Amino acid sequence: MSKMNPNVKQVVIAGGGTAGWLSAAILAADRAAVASADFHITLIESPDIAPIGVGEGTWPSMRATLKRIGVSETDFIRECSASFKQGSKFVGWTHGKSETYYHPFSLPQGYDDVNLAAAWQAFSEQVSFADAVSAQSSLCEHGLAPKQIATPEYAPVANYGYHLDSAKFSSFLQKHCVEKLGVTHVLANISEINSHPNGDIASLSLHSGEPIQGDLFIDCTGFASLLLGQHYQIPLVSQQDILFNDTALAAQVPYARADDPVASATLATAQTAGWIWDIGLPHRRGVGYVYSSAHTTREKAEQQLREYIAIGLGVQQASALDVRELNINPGYRQKLWHKNCVAIGIAAGFIEPLEASALVLVELSATMLSDQLPVNREAMDILARRFNERFLTQWQRIVEFLKLHYILTQRNDSDYWRDHCDQGTIPERLQELVTLWRHQCPWHQDGRFIDDMFPPASFQYVYYGMGGKTHLAANRSQPKDAAAKAMGEFQNNRRKIEQLLGSLPSNRELINKIMQYGLPKI
Amino acid sequence: MQNHAVLNPVDHKDIKIVTQRSELYGDCVIATLAFPFEFRNVQSDYPILFQKDSNTGKLFPVALLGLKAKENLFLNEEGWDASYIPASILRQPFMVGFQGEKPIVTIDMDSPRVNKVEGEALFDEMGEGTDFLKNVTAMLNELHGAYQDTEVFIEQLLELELLESLALKLMLADGVEHELTGFYTINEDKLRELSADALGKLHNQNFLQPLFMAVASLSRLANLVDKKNKLLVC
Repeated sequence: MSKMNPNVKQVVIAGGGTAGWLSAAILAADRAAVASADFHITLIESPDIAPIGVGEGTWPSMRATLKRIGVSETDFIRECSASFKQGSKFVGWTHGKSETYYHPFSLPQGYDDVNLAAAWQAFSEQVSFADAVSAQSSLCEHGLAPKQIATPEYAPVANYGYHLDSAKFSSFLQKHCVEKLGVTHVLANISEINSHPNGDIASLSLHSGEPIQGDLFIDCTGFASLLLGQHYQIPLVSQQDILFNDTALAAQVPYARADDPVASATLATAQTAGWIWDIGLPHRRGVGYVYSSAHTTREKAEQQLREYIAIGLGVQQASALDVRELNINPGYRQKLWHKNCVAIGIAAGFIEPLEASALVLVELSATMLSDQLPVNREAMDILARRFNERFLTQWQRIVEFLKLHYILTQRNDSDYWRDHCDQGTIPERLQELVTLWRHQCPWHQDGRFIDDMFPPASFQYVYYGMGGKTHLAANRSQPKDAAAKAMGEFQNNRRKIEQLLGSLPSNRELINKIMQYGLPKI
Repeated sequence: MQNHAVLNPVDHKDIKIVTQRSELYGDCVIATLAFPFEFRNVQSDYPILFQKDSNTGKLFPVALLGLKAKENLFLNEEGWDASYIPASILRQPFMVGFQGEKPIVTIDMDSPRVNKVEGEALFDEMGEGTDFLKNVTAMLNELHGAYQDTEVFIEQLLELELLESLALKLMLADGVEHELTGFYTINEDKLRELSADALGKLHNQNFLQPLFMAVASLSRLANLVDKKNKLLVC
């Protein structure tokens, strides 16, 4: 019986980037009290493969994740060169000029109670949706931090996630996993994958040393997808017909002056064949152009990227910077968990970094895996089916939500934007949603799953940010006191903005103070 | 804003210090820093709580003097009505500063206590320090080191998770519920659960007595509420 139905005691993680170490940390921290004979994690990292090193933006969920794995926020910020992120700012997506809109992390005022989107329609010419319903866009415009130095670790004044240096984040997690959580770290290249008769993976042979046996294998090998993709031949479901971006040019950009402001939002500036991300860390910016190779050339793209960087830094310095090219095959695996192997991170799939979905998917996947870790082989297939169901849906939702950023554009300056508006490239569910939103505001009924990554609030921020309109029919019933409630919430928001603008430090100032004093634990 | 100058008989020859306690001289504060070494005296009059420095986020112990901002319920027309006045009040407008390693006395020239007309002189005609100044210097000498001790004390309490946020709702004589926020106190459940090792360590650092003084001091809250109610009623 035990041979047929072994208990899951040995978890082997292949790959040591942020996906591997974050998965290891979550699984290990949740079982910190379990004896090592009953549960053990080994992480195999290739000494020859450098991590991808993108994924420098997180969601607010990272706060709960870091707390869960037992690290101090002060240590994290100091050692990972992290800064505070309060959302994304989109530039030039509607008209290709300097117009902007925000997708902040905070939900609209009174979100559980009243749909402010309906009441806002009357004021859409005077105030942007984000400014009307949330204080966060104003905080970001002023470069303010989401909290004060006296605010306890992980507690927000305004909801926030992080920008971070992903190489440093990997090392930080590695140290924590090995020193505090008892994870075994093996530096070696995998030479062979050995199977049981039933097709399960039995062990991984290494170029040096003993093979590593396991009951459950986690594939965190990035684009290689060594176990799920190469060994099991689970195909990639390409999304390139929907989201065209397949190449990224990335650069690390120094600040002109060491005390330049650190932006509180990820800046996403639309270009003729994609968009440029701009992420502010305390010591440098991470800037990159992600574009569709079918719509521009590498030379043209690099030129646009350097022109963007030159705005703050000058032509001379901008032209001297190293630019790294990354090729993306946008899509996700047809199955994410097959037999006793589950893929997490880029090995499971990757899509352009719009809305920073990469790290949050790692957190969600590892968390679900840990919460529902199969006790034995018998339970595994059932849990694998659940996992696949949930995350394949998640991937579809992400693709739809990212596509929403493109399809309302009025840009007509390149094939790239025209092609994005081609009905044939828009998933049906998204077409349906947008059709509904012309006559009713995005609201709770538009989210089907409790664990949907993007709440209807996100639909609202992007739809109205892009200039989407809702023509509310006069005969449509509205809750009786909704209008009065909405006016009250708009006013609450204005008061909140005033109060926060007066009391929050700048992002840079808070980071400097954390370096000096640390954040309090309570 | 404070404007600290190194005290010296040339620049400060004619300076006098008002020692009277009054709102006019900046004594109307809701709380003032209390050093662990004086907790025994502090707790005879005031609740000892903990508060954060808004500039650094660091916690420090305080003697609670009032129930809302800029309220000191111990002040009246005659002065400060208590058997003990915390050292952080008494030392004003002086502070210990450092020139390199050497401790020096500094004076806040912007303090309303500093003037040339009334109060205690600092130097006599010969430029010698007066008895008043000698007392001040002796007190500052005692405080020298107390700042650092306080920091270590707080670090210990945090490490043992002995501090918790205090949510205090008081019903006052005028029937209005009053909320006191932004303060922290000792978590007595955690204190009871401390191991013999932890207690021994606290004792060796001379922190055990102040810790229990702080716990005992909470009964002074009733005293503050009484004072407040008397003001509200009359």
